[in-house]
Amino acid sequence: MKNDTRFIQEEGRVLMLGNEALVRGCLESGVSYVSQYPGTPTSDIGEYFHQVLRENPEIGEYLVHHWAVNEAVAASACAGAAWTGCRVLNPMKHVGLNVASDALSVISLNGPNPGAMVISVGSDPGSLGSHQEQNERFYAWMFHIPTIEPHTPQECKDWIKLAFILSEKHDLVINLRTSTRSAHSRGFVELSSLVKGKSKGEFIRNIPKFNSLPPHAINNHIRLYERIEKLRESIPRLDINKIIEGDNRIGIITSGMPFGYTIEALNQLELNDVPILKLGMIYPLNYEQIIEFIHPLEKVIIIEELEPFLEMKIAEISQKRKINVEIIGEKYLPKYNEYSTGLIATNLAKIFSKKPNERINKAINYFNSYKDIIPSRFPTFCAGCPERATLYSILKATNHLENTIICGDIGCYVMSFFPPQECSDLIICMSGGLSAAIGMSTKTDQKVLAMIGDSTFFHTGMSPLAEAVGYNSNILLIIFENSWTAMTGHQDDVLRYLINQGFSIENICKAIGVPWLRIEDSYKPKTLTSTIKEALKTEGLKVIIIKRECALQAHKWRLSQIRKLEEEGKKIQDISYYIGGCQLCYECAQILSCPAIRRINTQGIEEMQIDQDRCIRCGVCYEVCPNGAIRKSIINLLEEEVPFREI
Amino acid sequence: MKFKETDIINIVIAGTAGQGVITLKRLIEFASQKAGVERNFGAENHGLAQREGAITSHTRYQKQTFKDERKNLNSPLICYGDANLYICLEPAEALRRGIYASDKTSFVLNERDIPGVMITANLEQYPSLEQIKNILYNYSDKVYSINATELCLKHFHSNQQVNIFMLGFAIPTRNIPFIEIEHYEEVIKEWFRDPETNIRALHLGINEGRNILVNKN
Repeated sequence: MKNDTRFIQEEGRVLMLGNEALVRGCLESGVSYVSQYPGTPTSDIGEYFHQVLRENPEIGEYLVHHWAVNEAVAASACAGAAWTGCRVLNPMKHVGLNVASDALSVISLNGPNPGAMVISVGSDPGSLGSHQEQNERFYAWMFHIPTIEPHTPQECKDWIKLAFILSEKHDLVINLRTSTRSAHSRGFVELSSLVKGKSKGEFIRNIPKFNSLPPHAINNHIRLYERIEKLRESIPRLDINKIIEGDNRIGIITSGMPFGYTIEALNQLELNDVPILKLGMIYPLNYEQIIEFIHPLEKVIIIEELEPFLEMKIAEISQKRKINVEIIGEKYLPKYNEYSTGLIATNLAKIFSKKPNERINKAINYFNSYKDIIPSRFPTFCAGCPERATLYSILKATNHLENTIICGDIGCYVMSFFPPQECSDLIICMSGGLSAAIGMSTKTDQKVLAMIGDSTFFHTGMSPLAEAVGYNSNILLIIFENSWTAMTGHQDDVLRYLINQGFSIENICKAIGVPWLRIEDSYKPKTLTSTIKEALKTEGLKVIIIKRECALQAHKWRLSQIRKLEEEGKKIQDISYYIGGCQLCYECAQILSCPAIRRINTQGIEEMQIDQDRCIRCGVCYEVCPNGAIRKSIINLLEEEVPFREI
Repeated sequence: MKFKETDIINIVIAGTAGQGVITLKRLIEFASQKAGVERNFGAENHGLAQREGAITSHTRYQKQTFKDERKNLNSPLICYGDANLYICLEPAEALRRGIYASDKTSFVLNERDIPGVMITANLEQYPSLEQIKNILYNYSDKVYSINATELCLKHFHSNQQVNIFMLGFAIPTRNIPFIEIEHYEEVIKEWFRDPETNIRALHLGINEGRNILVNKN
């Protein structure tokens, strides 16, 4: 295997995902500080920086990457580094912007100079990897954050470079807004030279600029309008908005990924005379450029995913300038879910009174005729997951949530609501579950449970826990201490450091004064079930910490230990589980629902089977089978046992 | 099927988490670069790789672009009905993204099922292989199926090569034009952990694919 040189080679043409290209663009811009909390579709940005730093330690002389504990910390940390005169990148997912917004509202007012600050917000139309699909573009209006929307990986690279130049020049925070599709699509990128960043900067005191309080807050607000206007004037010279000429009296304004779908949809419909304005900068808009484009037209279609953002502004401009052109978009195109070429082609056919493309129509109709027989395949907990095992115990202890509310949260356990376990009644946001439980417990006699993972606990979970202690809320809080930020792919500098220092959530709970605290292991479901029962009989705040490492990591570590011992010539215990005499009660399949267990049909006889490739030997199914049909086999009984590691 | 150099090639790869859908997409893309392809643009889904979910990727390339940008590859997602090849690493996944298929689509299908938790829990039914194949045959007669998992277990004692085997199996259908076998081999040698086994899997797939085509015709 060769080293991945795409990030550091001096020139050439390479294949890159949008996010990879964005990282390359940063390395060509002399970025020297990056901070982010992981979240799809931006988590891999940090992973590429880590890869670059691992493979090229000399870059570490000037570039620092932090996995922040939350997005607000990341945003302020980035501002701090920018104010020493450095170029900084702050990636976040669309909902991460909600967390960062408090900080960004002020940072954009102050301005990132003498350095430059680019945020890269990964939007997610279609909720492909998020709990919702909010249209976060409106923050651009609220905080005056100029927003650039790339379409291809080449644009991701070129335009993040432009964003740094503009940020530095105009003292503005700039957003290079991606989407799940632009972040995770691969295409060719022409490389330019790498530029070293600053290893050290210097903060120069400037009280009016960095203290946006009266009277400076208003002055900075006035200054922000001036900065935005200067940028707005410069847009035509940036070569970021493009016109594709055409003679049709109906034109289209679009941006980012919807441009790609639109131009292909027009080709499918053989409508190749429609003029298109592709906006690279979606805030601020250069009005003259837009007016020039729409003026000769009868009708303009605005094609953008989610709520009308461009459409509102363009309708406003044309109304104010008294231009007689019909502006449409949301009237024909959905304001939810992601777009595709097929969807846009179907809707454009209506607008242009064209016969719909026959192949597209047939594809939709035939697919609709059989789609109901496709079995569901939603994401679920991995085989051996300690969180799945905890849900099993919760279901057993509460008689399947009888008279019990369970407040979910964000992390792997966000998947709790899926059948067959259906063990989450509500989800709000990071640590919203515990907060909801505080209010709920004052207004109902139903039992209230809340769940939170360790990464979410550090993100924003400690504050609601302090409040729950303060009011002695009648809640049972389950904390999954699996020692990883598992859901987004194990990005864990801070968590690893704290754990290696012997620091634990148990210490925090004790220090904060949790009145009832137990440490449990979900691989011992019987004990855990009785502890949950005991907790639910107790008034006031109860916390159970489930101390068990993420199964993916635990399994990986255990296999590596086994390999090491075997290489040393040692024999080790070989444990496996198998099923014999199954009564088909479905306890393991419906209530535990481990994916390592499958139902097979051999010559008309149904039985359950454990997939040895997937089973990680957690033993939970063995513990819970009410009929003793799950058996344990140990080969080399007298040899060394390799247990999972303690955390 | 004969492709022109300016045609946009559309390949859907579908499977379940851990089957190597994204690896296979990357292999085709990097091989297409070696084949001198001018444009490449394809989406893949990240973020839920380990968690049993359905994974789809869109592999799209164009050997030579038109001067007129309106006719070129510009979207990383395939249009409904526009796939010329659909590689299914798992039978039910052949249906899940069926909206991208039409009479111009060739299907290559791994017959080994991976039932989800709802099937194991006896709360949903998994359609029979025959039922799935019948649905596919309604698109076209270009449906080529094989138990790739079984063959890989037999030859390599592992199911890790199923994705590469299925690529090999698809090659004789001539739906991945302009890329030569050597291009895949080069990429495998550069990027893969165990190039030797993967190249063997590729060739095993190619041979099985050729046999099936001969028998079918």
